[in-house]
Amino acid sequence: MNPLKNQTGSVGLVQNSSLNAIWNNNKKTIIAFLLILFLFLLGEIVVSNFLSMGQILLTIKLSAFIALFALCQMIVIAAGGAGLDLSVGFTATLTAILTASVMDGQNGNLLPAILVALAVGAVIGLANGALIAYVKLPPLVVTMAMASIIQGVINVYTAGKNITGKPAPILELIAAKSTGIFPNILFLLLIVAVVVMILLYKTKWGLKLFGVGTNETTAYLSGVNVKAVRLAAFVISGVTAGMIGLLLIGNMGIAFKDMGSSYVMPSIAAVVVGGVSLVGGEGNYFRVILGSIFLQTLTNLLVALGWGDAGKWLGFGIVLFALLIAYVSDRRKR
Amino acid sequence: MSQIKKSLKIENLKKIIMKQEFSSMLILLVMFVITAVLQNNFFERGSIIRNINAFAPLILLAMGQAVVILSGALDLSAGAALSLQTCILTYVMKQADPVTGVYALILSFIAAVLIGVINGIGIGYLRIPPVIITFATSYIWLGAALFIRPTPGGESVSWFKIFYDAKSAEGVPALIKAIGGIIPPALILVLVGCLIWYFISRTKTGRYIYAVGSSNDSAYATGINTARVQMTAFIINSVFIFLAALFFVGQNQSGDARMGDPMTLKAIAAAVVGGIALTGGKGSVYMAIVGALILSFVNKIIFFANIPNAYQTLVSGLIIIAAIASSMAYSHMNKKAMLKESK
Amino acid sequence: MILEVKGIRKCFGGVVALSDGNLVCRRGRITGLLGANGSGKSTISKIITGVYSADCGEINYNGQCVKYKNPNEARQDGIAMVFQNLSLVPDLTVWQNIVLGAEQKKGLGLDNQCAKEQSEAIINKLQPGLDISKKVSQLNPGEMQIVEIAKAISANPRLLILDEPTAALEQAQVKNLFAYMRELADQGVSMIFTSHRMWEVMEICDDVIIFRNGENVAGIDFHKEGKDAERIIGYITGDTKKEECQIGDRQIDGETVLSIKGMNYGKMLKNISFDLRAGEVLGIGGLAGQGQNELLLALAGAYPEMKCDAEIKGRKIKLTKPVNAVRNSILLVPGDRQLEGLFLKDSVYKNTIFPKLALKRQPIFTPDKKYRQECEQMVKSLSVKTHNIDTPVGTLSGGNQQKVVVGKWLSFDINVLLLADPAKGVDIGAKRDLYQYITDMVREKNTSVILYASDSEELIQYCDRVLIMYEGQIVESLEGCDINEDAIVSASMCINKAKEVG
Repeated sequence: MNPLKNQTGSVGLVQNSSLNAIWNNNKKTIIAFLLILFLFLLGEIVVSNFLSMGQILLTIKLSAFIALFALCQMIVIAAGGAGLDLSVGFTATLTAILTASVMDGQNGNLLPAILVALAVGAVIGLANGALIAYVKLPPLVVTMAMASIIQGVINVYTAGKNITGKPAPILELIAAKSTGIFPNILFLLLIVAVVVMILLYKTKWGLKLFGVGTNETTAYLSGVNVKAVRLAAFVISGVTAGMIGLLLIGNMGIAFKDMGSSYVMPSIAAVVVGGVSLVGGEGNYFRVILGSIFLQTLTNLLVALGWGDAGKWLGFGIVLFALLIAYVSDRRKR
Repeated sequence: MSQIKKSLKIENLKKIIMKQEFSSMLILLVMFVITAVLQNNFFERGSIIRNINAFAPLILLAMGQAVVILSGALDLSAGAALSLQTCILTYVMKQADPVTGVYALILSFIAAVLIGVINGIGIGYLRIPPVIITFATSYIWLGAALFIRPTPGGESVSWFKIFYDAKSAEGVPALIKAIGGIIPPALILVLVGCLIWYFISRTKTGRYIYAVGSSNDSAYATGINTARVQMTAFIINSVFIFLAALFFVGQNQSGDARMGDPMTLKAIAAAVVGGIALTGGKGSVYMAIVGALILSFVNKIIFFANIPNAYQTLVSGLIIIAAIASSMAYSHMNKKAMLKESK
Repeated sequence: MILEVKGIRKCFGGVVALSDGNLVCRRGRITGLLGANGSGKSTISKIITGVYSADCGEINYNGQCVKYKNPNEARQDGIAMVFQNLSLVPDLTVWQNIVLGAEQKKGLGLDNQCAKEQSEAIINKLQPGLDISKKVSQLNPGEMQIVEIAKAISANPRLLILDEPTAALEQAQVKNLFAYMRELADQGVSMIFTSHRMWEVMEICDDVIIFRNGENVAGIDFHKEGKDAERIIGYITGDTKKEECQIGDRQIDGETVLSIKGMNYGKMLKNISFDLRAGEVLGIGGLAGQGQNELLLALAGAYPEMKCDAEIKGRKIKLTKPVNAVRNSILLVPGDRQLEGLFLKDSVYKNTIFPKLALKRQPIFTPDKKYRQECEQMVKSLSVKTHNIDTPVGTLSGGNQQKVVVGKWLSFDINVLLLADPAKGVDIGAKRDLYQYITDMVREKNTSVILYASDSEELIQYCDRVLIMYEGQIVESLEGCDINEDAIVSASMCINKAKEVG
């Protein structure tokens, strides 16, 4: 055997494998990036003026709300046990409607409004989490029923009267206004993202959450209270959704009955597009943000094409279906 | 000797009472009595027909959902599929032209099979968790329905009323009218349901649905084509959804892309209340009918209890979650009792 | 000759399960496969029926070269296998399970009558009186095994492979099974029979093939060469001299570390009491599945419904939550390391630090620097073969995975280490490292260990005292010189009890 040839061969192999490693580690991030790029290019070709700075920033601003809702999903998904939270959109709507009259356009009333939002979110999250972790009901059925209960509460609260009240100006500043060309909510999203990543990857709580999601039995036998961790995940989801309600009203200026419900589907789709496993045990929030941007871009494109709501939901459904086949399908196991 | 016999009988009785089927039946009976007391004309022919017609769609959806749950899956797209079907039916039908009704039936049935196949491929062949894949397809159906019918409305041929009230339907042969006059159409559709029940409990595929739902891996190891079985379950379900859509259109003469949204949860709840385990393989399709009837009677009772309209979503939502939680708790309790017995 | 298998090789990850597997099976004869745990005898059966695919080698069945993709293909060709991990559907009845996949039609429905009769006929031979209309979920493990066997037989196979069918059976059931096997053999059915229990193989088989370390080392035709137990044992154990007892006859007179009184858990554990002294290695033996795994899990707090009075160093504790066990340093290395002991997709490092989370007063932010040093140290002291500590545990070999499971407890001040069959699926080198480390730990730190091993050799080598379990009870306690193969085997089979009853 020629030693020289052997050597070069192995060097080639090493280079190949390191490239492979980069690809393998970031495959899903790269795919998400490429998908966004593809949509923008497609938009530029089909609808003109799609690739402008303003349009991109607007897209990112709108996707921030999807990304925040997706945070709720990511946390409950990470806790494993087929976790999903279909009630987040309704929780946000409820807090928006309740806090609208509390705030009444005054900054001074912001604190009580935040307390209301926290309380509502925590109660809903506790109820979800208790039924799922302790009574062992399937998360989907529980949160779906919870969504209909919250819708019922909203119906009762708004029956026979107009929803009054305005957001505190601070909320409008955060959610709707811009600093220079940059929408303020981007800064908030960035802060949230950093905090979340630190919480999940650098603290003991994050380790517990991922451990429970990856292998419940191992986590349990290692002395972790699996039920408490799952409950906490749903409480975080509820509280986060409650706070998003404040941002929604800040962005819109008013509260109305269906303001949050249309975010439920994109919030789950964003997690899938971001390539976060639905089995649990992982959660890279930056990828989820990429997923949200992709979905918002898709929406923009479909709206620009004049396909409206029908196109949006059809598009979301098909994209989710296709990515589930790509990421989740385990036909190879057999 | 006779003492032993007696104790055996008591044991048997205990077993029957411990069965959830028994308690579901009992609850149904109570609901039935309460409704009968509240509704003055409950036993009159007209109101019986009206009640059955009003309950039929949920009964059909619950049976379909039951088949899917028995096969170890769950269909979150049932409501959206129902909406899509009403949109297809009312899109194709033109009031002036009775033949369009036939076209609509054919097209809608093809759509039903297609819906079942797409869900079935995702779950059976691609092995994606049912909950998440049907969540995705539900938005595909919703999008398609919105394309066809962005706002509620549409029209239907007049003979479509046979699916609701044959007597008042026009352009229908006298014979069908006469039969429809005696037996409400809804009852005929429930008979169709019985046919499916026969299929589930007396045929190979029926037994395989139980086997796959009870233990997918064991069924696969035995050589059962689990993917095909799961797909069959989903096709059966979407045929039931198709039948439910006929009722809606027969009653309302219009289509609506969002009318089915609340039905998904109700159908699942009906199956669970009927004692069908969400883990699959346990329960029977006819108990889904019992569950659907319980929920329907509860709805009636809420209506008669003079609860303001605004409260109805809230109350029915609370009742559904309470029903699901208590049936789950009940089956847990049963398991523990069985453990004790075997000790 | 109905089956001839030549030169089969199979690796799982880095571990060679079968290096050179050969076997021959003749018409109407029962061929026994013997060998220690992990000698490759189960693997070769699974390769024949297509559960696993061979890396190389050749299988000739009825004169044709075959390669099945799954057990179903094999069954259609007349090769049925009785699985060790059951392939039954819990919510169907016994007879529905037996005919599952081969239902006969009759008129509009299924021919249930015929199916019931057929099932009844087979069940009556194996266990008369078993109600065939019971749901499988209501049966006990032994009865389930019977149904599993009946299911395989109902397919009318020409070659029947029974992989450890007797492990969960009672003696009467085994007797029935053997009578039925003989009957089938007389009808021309060939059988391959694997078992840990040599005497079973000697009783029922016509010839035997012995496996050691992944290859067949001998084949004996009982009819021609006779049944010589000594010779078979020689082949099974090989020529290597038995290692000396590593712990030796030590005097264990330390304080009582753990005291268990009246432990009960359903049907699994019945009235178990024992004391464990400091520095003692307490072995748990017996046939597979007699509650050994459950005992260790119960000690680790895995069963909230379990009842017992437990004291650690004289202090009362409740063992109803794993966190209680962990905080009292009763630490478990579970039997199923992939399912119960590890996060396969996570790194060695993450797996190692995870148990610390259960402790009180943990800093909110994980002190990565300190923990990484500890982890590096662990990797070194247990000589875990891994690229670095960020390598996912799932990519390591079985032995190294097991070392990580042990390693994750090393930063604790261990009171009691519970080891559930730690050498299962572990290569010889790693096994030696592991036991070396543990015996050193026992000597130096006076750690107490409870060791359940399915291989009695390990019990003999390492334990100061051995408790034998049978149907959830401790039936025998062996000490010192009494710990030997014969004593363990006879206690495991509950021979004394059987004599009393008989």
